[in-house]
Amino acid sequence: MIQVKNVTKDFTIYKKDSGFKGAVKGLFVRKKEIIKAVNDISFEIKKGEIIGYIGANGAGKSTTIKMMTGVLTPSSGEITVSGLIPHENRIENAKHIGVVFGQRTQLWWDLPLEETFTILKEIYNVPDDAYKERLDYLVNLLDIQAFIKQPVRTLSLGQRMRADLAAAMLHSPDILYLDEPTIGLDVLVKEKIRFAIKDLNEKYKVTVILTTHDMSDIQELATRIMIIEKGVIIYDGSKEDINKRFGNNRMLELKIENLSETLLQEVSVMCHKKDKKSIVIHEDVVLRITFNQDRLAVADILGFVMSQCKVLDFKLRDQDIEDIAKRLYAGGIHEEVV
Amino acid sequence: MRYLRIYKIFLKQYLKTLMEYRSDFLIGMLSFFIVQSSNLIFLTLIFKRIPNLNGWTFEEVLFIYGFSQIPRGLDHLFTDNLWLLANEYVRSGSFDKYLLRPINPLFHLIAERFQPDAFGEMIVGLSIFGYAYHLLNLSFTGIQWLLLIIAVLSGSLIYTSIKLAAGSIALWTKRSQHVLFIIYQLSDFASYPLTIFSTFVRMILLIVVPFAFVAFVPASVFLDKPYIPLGILTGAIVAFVMWFISYNFIWKRGLQVYESTGN
Repeated sequence: MIQVKNVTKDFTIYKKDSGFKGAVKGLFVRKKEIIKAVNDISFEIKKGEIIGYIGANGAGKSTTIKMMTGVLTPSSGEITVSGLIPHENRIENAKHIGVVFGQRTQLWWDLPLEETFTILKEIYNVPDDAYKERLDYLVNLLDIQAFIKQPVRTLSLGQRMRADLAAAMLHSPDILYLDEPTIGLDVLVKEKIRFAIKDLNEKYKVTVILTTHDMSDIQELATRIMIIEKGVIIYDGSKEDINKRFGNNRMLELKIENLSETLLQEVSVMCHKKDKKSIVIHEDVVLRITFNQDRLAVADILGFVMSQCKVLDFKLRDQDIEDIAKRLYAGGIHEEVV
Repeated sequence: MRYLRIYKIFLKQYLKTLMEYRSDFLIGMLSFFIVQSSNLIFLTLIFKRIPNLNGWTFEEVLFIYGFSQIPRGLDHLFTDNLWLLANEYVRSGSFDKYLLRPINPLFHLIAERFQPDAFGEMIVGLSIFGYAYHLLNLSFTGIQWLLLIIAVLSGSLIYTSIKLAAGSIALWTKRSQHVLFIIYQLSDFASYPLTIFSTFVRMILLIVVPFAFVAFVPASVFLDKPYIPLGILTGAIVAFVMWFISYNFIWKRGLQVYESTGN
């Protein structure tokens, strides 16, 4: 359904020195710098998939989505969506896609929601009966009835986001692009949005490409995960396989009576001997050790620590996407890839 | 046909919101009347001292002035959103949405806004035009009225094309409000006889930013003092060429290089 082949997007930025002097200087001499927001990425998406597309701010997520939707023209490479090249056939492409950018609405600020929907009906040329059926479905699914007569500017963020999603799906597109759809929302609204996305995917086989920083979105929705870092896709696969790729890490949390510096040192040395990348940190009386379980066994750590002091409590946790994301956002997951 | 229907819906919705911001609308109208009347007072004062301006009488200058406001108002009425393109749409990223809908993005952009303030310009323009028409004892034939309509439409298209070109620069630079403002200011020259300006200014208004064809060239034809031969036809050709260049080489090129904004 979607093919992305060796796509690169360059942005030219002009560097200016800081301060007023720099600004004046910038008027005459500008240092040109080319940034590859997206660097030679390739992937394919099949109908009905829900892609969780994650990466730190500025990693290239939005740029990828904007190229797929036709807003941006790739600097090189090829994109086809349902057989069309999006930036060359914007209008045709737009008929088959729905887009929600969480940070800015596509609704008309001053119009009541209901009127917005009737405008969209005309813009997308939706036949009367199909429109009615679809609207009923979406109004129910997203619980919109209560505020459908209000001008968009009076809606709360949660209401507006539901309205945006409904507006994006009114013309029954096959593909839905969601750029941070749950940003800033409370838990209940998040739940509603997720439920709606799932329902659209199950009932209508809508293909969803979702970017988010909320790992629970990914956990609940995604059938496949793509991770982009500095413009390069560093992971593309299932939720389950992600641990294989990023090291089979676990975290052991120990609550210890009289946690001393020397003990900390000893544990650290012991862990590093077997797993060079293990991380030992402490917070008050809690010791946190992140390690690769292929190299370091839980029993070894526990045995060692328990021989040295009294352990009051302990917790063992598998690394989840959240942890991977954290390491990713902190930078440098690249080097860790095994 | 479908575009016409969409336009009607936009217009209807726009008028509805207008009712919500009624005072804003009234102030807008009022400010135009004030600007226009100060211009008129200025003209009257000048002609009290100098009854003849480079071969143009007060009545003729009034005729040109009134004429110039009609295409200006017509363009202003329909394409005011080009100012927002220049000023904020690209910078804020809200321009994205025009590229995500299955209709021509320029049509979408323009249809979204309707500027009734422009009625101020058109009413003033028509009144002055009518007054001068009366003072000059003109009586147009049917064909002349038809030519007049063509001239007004060409003039509007010239305005729109120039605004589109200047506004589209924002697709490269994120913001082109100042460029648009300066160029639009040049149109003030178009309200007066071109012959009073230096050759340099004349060349600019004829060739670079052809505001001369908006009012002066056609008006000179109707006043029987044609500045160039076949003024109306030339004006129409200039309008189409300007539109063609602005739409295909500036706006459409701009869409290709449009960089959007980060979130």
